[in-house]
Amino acid sequence: MKKKLLIIILVSLFAMLVIPKVDALGVTPGRTTLDYKQGLEQEVAFSVLNNEHKNMQVLLMVQGDLNDSVTLFENMVEFLPSEESKHFKYKVKLPDRIAKDPGLHTAEIVVLEIPKASDEGTYVGATVAVVSQLHIYVPCPGKCIDADLNVLDAEQNSTATLIVPVTNRGKLGIGEARAVIDIYTKLNEKVETLETDYAAIGAGKRTELSAKWQINVPPGGYLAKVTVFYDEESKSFEKQFAIGSQILSIESILVNNFQLGQIAKLQILVENKYNEELKSVFANLLVYNYEEQVMADLKSATENIPALSKKELIAYWDTVGVEEGEYNGKLMVRYGQKSTDRNLILKVSEDSLDITGVGYAIRPQGREGISVTTILLVLVIILLVVNLAWFVFFRRFMGKKKQPKASGRVIKA
Amino acid sequence: MNKHIKIIMIQVIFLVLVFSILYFLYPRTNVEVEGNLVNFRSVNANVIIISESPDFSNPRYLDLAEGKNASINLKPGAYYWKAGNNLIQGWRRAFKIDSEVGMEIKKEENESELVNIGNVKINVTKSKEGTMIGYIILEPNQSEEIEDSGKYTGRQE
Repeated sequence: MKKKLLIIILVSLFAMLVIPKVDALGVTPGRTTLDYKQGLEQEVAFSVLNNEHKNMQVLLMVQGDLNDSVTLFENMVEFLPSEESKHFKYKVKLPDRIAKDPGLHTAEIVVLEIPKASDEGTYVGATVAVVSQLHIYVPCPGKCIDADLNVLDAEQNSTATLIVPVTNRGKLGIGEARAVIDIYTKLNEKVETLETDYAAIGAGKRTELSAKWQINVPPGGYLAKVTVFYDEESKSFEKQFAIGSQILSIESILVNNFQLGQIAKLQILVENKYNEELKSVFANLLVYNYEEQVMADLKSATENIPALSKKELIAYWDTVGVEEGEYNGKLMVRYGQKSTDRNLILKVSEDSLDITGVGYAIRPQGREGISVTTILLVLVIILLVVNLAWFVFFRRFMGKKKQPKASGRVIKA
Repeated sequence: MNKHIKIIMIQVIFLVLVFSILYFLYPRTNVEVEGNLVNFRSVNANVIIISESPDFSNPRYLDLAEGKNASINLKPGAYYWKAGNNLIQGWRRAFKIDSEVGMEIKKEENESELVNIGNVKINVTKSKEGTMIGYIILEPNQSEEIEDSGKYTGRQE
């Protein structure tokens, strides 16, 4: 009996030493953005997340230049292991003084996990705090903007889309905004200059300017120097981005007529973006169970994919014994020694298999139909024309009918 | 007078007919947001148009598969969307994906690791006795070895 107890104590001690101790804390939303309005009073909601499902004590504090304008309803909060998150609110009452100070004003709600004291009453180790920010933009009297750069599909030998989201932070509308993007290597050599399209931006509104770039430079890190011209003014900024060298892309996965317990056929559409044929390409899909162990390892037949073309790879999944639920998966399309990977979520139900993570494709505009607004507008115009025609016809018709009566009266007189 | 009533009746019938056609052809779609995953479920739409701008500049087109369901992972932010089919493009609607700032410190015997467990890039400042002594930028799921002392404050970058 004593021996067993000793073993249990030793195992527990070993576990305490070996198993890493985790301190986790979260807050959502990470940022709340409000537009300035004079005398604005508003309650803002946020949640503190107990990611580790543990007993913890949390302190809520306010800091930042608007700290006097924010009132918390609670300052000290206790969490039980059963509580995954708790919802709170704070009240913000904007002072009039900031109206004269255009630009960004902030407050921070700091969520601090109070560390547990040691036996000697001292705090040991690192502590974690997370912040939910409040951003208030006071508009400038004239025209001013915020801008950023996002680079999509930055792969060698493909067409990248460079998007410059621009927000008009001024009180006046902008008639025309456009951007010029100069791209430099790490050695400060200019490799490309791109011009975006044009757009008007209303006061307080946001738009996206975009440009396409046929990438013919080697993969690696690049610097974009962006200048946004808006009416007679301009704003410049820089942003680093990387160009990859993906040769093969996974376009979509299609599963038709799925029935749980039967063999499912997965049609994986891949595109060869390289200007040479890729030989012996195959797809390998790993499906993980809830213990993160591989429960299915599916491989398609090998195929050769001609240059710059798409091909479907077929894999089969025997779903006998698979239960309904959500599973993590990893799809690898292998070619030579290389592989294009994508993490997936597979939602299995009795008669459907939804695979997310690759289910979307960006395609050119043109198939989405006519807008309801246009239809209603056409309808209103039709009715207007009909009624106008009816009115004109009716007046003429009545006028013709009345004429003989009038001449009759003249004869009588 | 009878002619007037006839014309009004024809217009009413025409309106009822047009609205009925619109009702049946309108791309009816529901959206559900679970974390960063957005699920669209539709009866008769074949494309979802998504944009971060209300004017739909640079939209993404999400093809709805045969099952009329589609999902997409999006970064936190405000999004505008409308459903379309070959005939009609629906009204503009919006959804929001909240950012989540989350951090985890894994403490082992000799080393500690700070992990970004949220869904946004964070700027983590390290302070000791009220003085800031450094900062770390972490992308979601990225980690960095840290000293097991001081206070680490994470905020959305």
